[in-house]
Amino acid sequence: MKTVAEDFDAGAPERPAGPGPGRRVPGLAGAAAKAARRTMFWRMVARSVTRRRSRVLIAVLAVGIGATTLFALASIAADIPRQMTREMRAYGANLLVMPEDGTSKVSAAALGPVAEALGSAEVIGSVPYRYETLRLNEQPYLSAGADLVQVRQVSPYWYVEGDWPAAPGEVLIGQDIAEWIGLGPGDEIELVAAVENPAASPSAADSGDPGAAASGDDDLANGDDGVADSGDASAAASDDDGADEVLAEEATGLFRVAGVLSTGGSEDELILMSLDDIEQLTGLAGRYDVVEYSVAADSGRIEALAEQITAEVEGVSAAPVKRLTESDTYVLSMLRSLLALITVIVLALTMIGVSTTMMAVVAERQGEIALRKALGADNRAVEREFLSESLALGGLGGVIGTALGYALAQVISLNVFHRPVAMTWWLALVAVGLSTLVAWAAALALVRRAAEVDPAIVLRGE
Amino acid sequence: MTRLLELESVSKVYGELRALDGISLAVPRGEWLSVVGPSGSGKTTLMNIVGAMDRASSGSVLLDGVELSDLGAKELAQIRRNTVGLIFQKFHLIGHLTAVENVMVAQYYHSMPDEAEAMAALGRVGLEQRAGHLPSQLSGGEQQRVCIARALINYPALILADEPTGNLDAANEEIVLDIFRSLHADGATLIVVTHDPAVAAEGQREIALEHGRMVREVFHDHG
Repeated sequence: MKTVAEDFDAGAPERPAGPGPGRRVPGLAGAAAKAARRTMFWRMVARSVTRRRSRVLIAVLAVGIGATTLFALASIAADIPRQMTREMRAYGANLLVMPEDGTSKVSAAALGPVAEALGSAEVIGSVPYRYETLRLNEQPYLSAGADLVQVRQVSPYWYVEGDWPAAPGEVLIGQDIAEWIGLGPGDEIELVAAVENPAASPSAADSGDPGAAASGDDDLANGDDGVADSGDASAAASDDDGADEVLAEEATGLFRVAGVLSTGGSEDELILMSLDDIEQLTGLAGRYDVVEYSVAADSGRIEALAEQITAEVEGVSAAPVKRLTESDTYVLSMLRSLLALITVIVLALTMIGVSTTMMAVVAERQGEIALRKALGADNRAVEREFLSESLALGGLGGVIGTALGYALAQVISLNVFHRPVAMTWWLALVAVGLSTLVAWAAALALVRRAAEVDPAIVLRGE
Repeated sequence: MTRLLELESVSKVYGELRALDGISLAVPRGEWLSVVGPSGSGKTTLMNIVGAMDRASSGSVLLDGVELSDLGAKELAQIRRNTVGLIFQKFHLIGHLTAVENVMVAQYYHSMPDEAEAMAALGRVGLEQRAGHLPSQLSGGEQQRVCIARALINYPALILADEPTGNLDAANEEIVLDIFRSLHADGATLIVVTHDPAVAAEGQREIALEHGRMVREVFHDHG
């Protein structure tokens, strides 16, 4: 049986007798040598990452947790405008379309062009309003007629004690009016309106109600031109007091209070009924004082849409509801600032976590670093190897963390906004890049210090 | 015979402690020199200075014609990779690299890695079949042979071995000494630090250190 020494002698390449001449690598071009070194370099990095699994797991976990939180927060922050603009629409209309001159009405025919101008904007709902001053118990109250189904959609935050009107002849009474007069759900009220077009007002023509007699109260007609015409057409109605002046005819309607409306705003002093009811009472159809739109867009887009409608649609002017659009922007800006702050804190915590982990990893490998130096590695070579490892760990942690972060963002978004969050690919790339950078930066100072280690410690057996 | 190593009045001082105190020593090429002495006698300090891992506080160290005292960290690293082969008592293999990869690390820092050549080096120490094993899968004797293959792969002018058989059983000690004998027969220059008189006696010359000074020099005649 051959001894190891015989093996050694047998296998020894031809070398000159005497002192070692040093290894020669003849016949290999510089490029081939470089390629072989590069292959070995990555082989060492790969082995370190794949064969030191428990240590790598800790480092990847440290980076991954940071990347998870970072990407989840960033995804939500990026998606917040889309999510919140929809949520904000629960707080009422944010775009108003009114008559251009402020005194006439918006015709129903103008609504088509307005819808065209809104184009691709996401319209949550639109409500045309017709305002009139109606008398109740001889006191004038601002009243509005609107599509009540749309009103509920555009202003879901309105609180109604009782029920929303479901049938013709039912109204909502503002909370303040209800308190002043002592009304509640189920009560019946008599509303009196000046009739602009008596022929179109069945309540005025058919009711025969004594209350339909003219009162001569021009204020009720809201200064509308129709008052004079109406008065002309119903001169008989003013015979009772024998006055010579032309007075507007009045129409009276009996209504049932379906509910008491409480919004905390001006609607608390409003009588709200269906558009059909108010048109029937006042005798003027298809003309509105204001049309409210709830559009899922930020304040800038709303401003632009308002300008576009004003410019493109004849006879109307549009304006954003400043209070809401600015509040949307303010809330969004606050949320984004908060998320940015949290992101910075998470980034700092990740940096600390990764630094601590890398410190442990580098400290554990102090002996290996000294050995490499004893074998002839200079500081730069050691730094290059260990920083490449930290880049690999950072990248790996970043990819895993970003994937988990997307899942976390989905869970948060589904629970808070009840909608999935969209995958933002550029953000994913940034998260992976940032994780890699954090791992590299965390390792940089540590590795540089570690590379200064005295190679002699390997001979001291440390 | 030309001198590979020349030390002239070399001292190393750590604060109040003189780890080496005026050592003068010349090692001709091809010599096997044994260094003995109790713990704290300055053997390891001497090895560090000769192996270009530390600088002397005073005196001159000339290795393969290069004065080490004048060199910076980068030049010393160059001397280590080109001129010196190190064999350690605790083997110091990189745990996540296989036997052949551990040998290739020394090639990597020297010039360029060549797996076939590294395999041949392992073959020379009888470990070709264990080339793909991690250090944790090798016995102490096998690890030391990998360490030797790594030290020899670049054909260094000087082989420094620090207690190379200190952690080995008798059988493996004999294997390692066999390899050293072959190396010496091939003309390699060896400096072996040891506590073991039997291992020290394998050298052509034996010097003893005490308190940083050379107190004895013995020549062994191996006939």
